[in-house]
Amino acid sequence: MSMKRVTINPVTRLEGHGKIDIFLDEDGNVANAYFQVPELRGFEQFCRGRQAEDMPQITSRICGVCPEAHHMASVKALDQLFAVEPPPAAKKIRELLYMAFFVTDHTTHFYALGGPDFIVGPDAPPAERNILGVVRKVGLDIGKAVIECRARNHHVIQMLGGRGIHPTAGLPGGWSKSVSEPERIEIEEAARKNIDFALFSLQVFEKIVWQNPVYREMAESDVYCHRTYSMGTVDEQGRLNLYDGQIRIVDPEGLEFALYPASEYLDHVAEHVEPWTYLKFPFLKKIGWKGFQDGATSGVYATTPLTRLNVASSLATPLAQEQFEKFYAAFGGRKPVHQRLATHWARLIEMLSAAEPMLELATDPEITSPDVRAIPQRVSGTGVGSVEAPRGTLIHHYEADGKGLLQRVNLIVGTTNNHAAIAMSIRKAAERLIHAGKVVEEGMLNRIEMAFRLYDPCLSCATHSLPGSMRLEVRIRSHAGEIIRTLRREG
Amino acid sequence: MGSTVIIGLGNPVLADDSVGLRIAAELRRRLAGRSGFTTVELYSGGMWLMEAMAGHERAIVIDAIVSGGTAGAVYRFGLADLPQTRTADSTHDASLPVALELGRVAGLHLPGKVKIWAVEAADVETFSERLTPEVERAVPLVVEQVLRDLDECLDQPLRKNQ
Repeated sequence: MSMKRVTINPVTRLEGHGKIDIFLDEDGNVANAYFQVPELRGFEQFCRGRQAEDMPQITSRICGVCPEAHHMASVKALDQLFAVEPPPAAKKIRELLYMAFFVTDHTTHFYALGGPDFIVGPDAPPAERNILGVVRKVGLDIGKAVIECRARNHHVIQMLGGRGIHPTAGLPGGWSKSVSEPERIEIEEAARKNIDFALFSLQVFEKIVWQNPVYREMAESDVYCHRTYSMGTVDEQGRLNLYDGQIRIVDPEGLEFALYPASEYLDHVAEHVEPWTYLKFPFLKKIGWKGFQDGATSGVYATTPLTRLNVASSLATPLAQEQFEKFYAAFGGRKPVHQRLATHWARLIEMLSAAEPMLELATDPEITSPDVRAIPQRVSGTGVGSVEAPRGTLIHHYEADGKGLLQRVNLIVGTTNNHAAIAMSIRKAAERLIHAGKVVEEGMLNRIEMAFRLYDPCLSCATHSLPGSMRLEVRIRSHAGEIIRTLRREG
Repeated sequence: MGSTVIIGLGNPVLADDSVGLRIAAELRRRLAGRSGFTTVELYSGGMWLMEAMAGHERAIVIDAIVSGGTAGAVYRFGLADLPQTRTADSTHDASLPVALELGRVAGLHLPGKVKIWAVEAADVETFSERLTPEVERAVPLVVEQVLRDLDECLDQPLRKNQ
């Protein structure tokens, strides 16, 4: 079956912001599905000529959702750009803040976005498939617990980072502020509560989702399964590390394909451009772009909580390791797991694997050390920093002149890494509901939402914005590109 | 009168998307020294917005909007006719109505009075710290109108405190 070439003119492109287009072939079956996003203009130009040390503040303003991830990737890039090694306490404070951020971000996603599909049910009306539906099903206390979890971690972020939403404390060579003993005590208390809440959330998942045969069958089925390469960051022992380490890629069989420091990312990742979107599609350079395809011969990879577990040999803390083993045992001992709906479970395991190191760091005697800054002495010219953002590996790459003024800036954000995989998951969900031109509208929006939601896409960052809320719009186009059906849901 | 929170929403580096932040910053300056007012900058809506409102009697939210109107046009809404402004909802957690309901069921004290001011944006897709001229002209207008609104609940008009 061939798909007729469809040329999308620039006007159509601009209208396509944040919309999903499903293209049918001549027989009326799904040929491709695309997630269109707006292009924001001039980021590199906006940055060029600025002082490099402004980047942790500027990049954390790109997005209102994960500023902490940009702040951390940025300060790590600056360490390299200014050839300076932060003191141990500074690294620990950065990581401590980052773990608090991970707990709150994953909590919000599970209870407000990803979880309702399962806890309330995939076919429940959208008006009920939200956090209020979760409260009705699990109990009033869960609403309070989510709000408290957000509040205590936002408070920790504010104490450590200087501001509640956009941290300002990151500097090349360290951190601008040390931790006092009263602050440490408060953070330790928050970390203990985070561990309890993560364990509770895993219990909720197990009881309500995994023990429900319908959901379990859906999670294990082929519908949302993609056998792609997996990417994530690991420490020297191959254990998952969300803040620092080397980037590891495993092939669809689980064999190591690459292990490299972020500074070598250009040797491993290239970006494919499609005519219908401004957002690029990163792929594995050594494999090549073979289209939106699964398998070892396709350069498509994903970077999510699931793929991060897939690349890790183990988790660094005991309770999270127990859950890690339970997770793979539940899938028959197979690793990697390719069932993408399992990403929601993996996200909760990551919540625990952030809460435990948070406690370790909060009780580390060095955390209150006043030695939090090494003063940069020179400009190296290039800095690449990476962290695992909640929604995937995040890379900041800066080049500066001898005065530290920026000449070149490149960012690869988590959602961009997953762009091809998201399109593939949407296509697969659509294929089940469209046959020979007949469209099963019932449940289509729900199924498509579930396909992209599992990636936790943060479009405010990948594109660097989206109008207010996600008002889902799916356009089904004939092989000639004409819109034959539009399904819409208000946000 | 209880406390009032003034919340500017938007992205500070995305041209007209920052208009709510600019207006909130100006209101912060004009209200300096007055008790009973808190000014907050938020870059994300939904749960964050609900949490920023919690504990206050009144909330004034200022945001950019893209609704096809004339650039710089100013609109005022209540919660009942909440439009899709740029940032009031969040793509990452919950819509504002859902977030507010969650806050209520969780027992948070949420404001009884919420007003939303929106300024029609011309450009929300270019990285820039500047507003377009039409939107720039709307800044003092909204500042004065918000202050006039606040006057209704105060003995001494705020506008004289310049």
